[in-house]
Amino acid sequence: MKWASGMAILALVLLVAAGTWSLFPRPDVPPWEEETAAWGAKNAVAAIVLGARLWDTLFEVLVYAMAMVGVRLALRPLRRTEPQAPLPETPLLRRAADVLLGPIVVFAIYLAASGHLGPGGGFPAGALLGSGLLLLALAKGADRLGGELHEPILERGEYGAIVALLAAGLGVLFLGWVGGGLFVGLNLLIALEVAIGAWVVLHHFASSRGEV
Amino acid sequence: MGTVLLSVLTLALAVFALTQRRLLWGVIGVGVHSLALAGVYLFLAAPDVALTEAAIGFGLVTFVYLLALRRTGRLVVAASEAYPILYQEGERIVGLEWEILSRFGRSLHRDVEVLWVPRSEIPRLLASAEVDLAAGGFLPRDGEAALLSSPLVPTRLVTVRTGEGPLGAVAGDRGQDHLPPDAPTYEDHEALVRALARGEIGGAVVDLLRARQWFLAGHLRDAEMTPVEDSLAFRFAVAASETETYAALERFLHDFSATGELARSLEEHLS
Repeated sequence: MKWASGMAILALVLLVAAGTWSLFPRPDVPPWEEETAAWGAKNAVAAIVLGARLWDTLFEVLVYAMAMVGVRLALRPLRRTEPQAPLPETPLLRRAADVLLGPIVVFAIYLAASGHLGPGGGFPAGALLGSGLLLLALAKGADRLGGELHEPILERGEYGAIVALLAAGLGVLFLGWVGGGLFVGLNLLIALEVAIGAWVVLHHFASSRGEV
Repeated sequence: MGTVLLSVLTLALAVFALTQRRLLWGVIGVGVHSLALAGVYLFLAAPDVALTEAAIGFGLVTFVYLLALRRTGRLVVAASEAYPILYQEGERIVGLEWEILSRFGRSLHRDVEVLWVPRSEIPRLLASAEVDLAAGGFLPRDGEAALLSSPLVPTRLVTVRTGEGPLGAVAGDRGQDHLPPDAPTYEDHEALVRALARGEIGGAVVDLLRARQWFLAGHLRDAEMTPVEDSLAFRFAVAASETETYAALERFLHDFSATGELARSLEEHLS
């Protein structure tokens, strides 16, 4: 067993070394600047994700939404009924949440809104927003934050974002919408969707089984 | 160069995370590993992926693991102090049951946390699964919904009478079963023996171990002792929902007594 794991680790080291010392052949990249600019973006990744492969992205968002619905339905019967004793809050965590939450939210919105110009985009921005909510949940307690966030409104926002995304996809397909503005809108909607999804999953996990 | 260094760091952190015996350190290792991996992506000119890896791998995944650890990483034990099987010596917890609990916790890779509570609190804590185990001179009572371990220390219930007056007991203790419902009860054995010393009650129904401790402490100079209930034993109680923990505890106790360790510990702590 030890021998096998040693071999596996050695193989992994060799593989990573080969990759990092560029021993693998690199594919020839076609001139991508013009292609990207034709979609109204500067960031090649955004041009692919929201332009050439928009349908992949939209259905990925749908899959994500399905996962959230699944978590909601599956965890509903396990939900605790009696209120849990709140954990003692540490002042350090609360201060950190006070100081960091604003920058996190601003940076996430910036990432979503500038995703077509540089690194960023809807998915990282949504994950960041979700992490910000998580920080708040750790500082305040998940149940209290869940009460303040009004789940029905979040749910409506989530489904609204999906409908808007699909509508935008139809617009691209039939009306030939293209350009930077479209990308900003799509990225913001995806960020909203991902952030709400991350929160819903965490909140349901936290209030059904564990504690925060 | 940065890529190579960070790749090596990533591998080292992965090995670190895999080899930790404490789950918490493993989770922290995985979190930092994600951060180093994000650095690798950054050096390989994929800042988008690096951002996502940092937010999800370091933020959300670490959090979900910590959430799971909160439920499984600790073995929470509700106990009342019982010299010499489970008691505090300054900051440290010592005693026969502690020796068993700490070794059992180590065998499950879980940290043992002892909550000192009055005996009457224990059934509620076990029923709501807020604690996994109960210990500390635990004598089961009828109607308590808990899984009982094999006997650890044999004992019996006795009545100690020091004078005239009603008999008292610790609230929720087995001794209460042998008293009328309106008998005076006290939160713990400390309070009971103080009431006895003040002459508030004429006697008490307690287990032999406590009676012996009081006698050695000089509280029962001319007390009269009559046995009430024989062939009892101190045990651990496991919350009814923790069947896996219960099975593991039974296996552990079986091995512990089969190897003669239990007899040796009893000798060491009780004589």
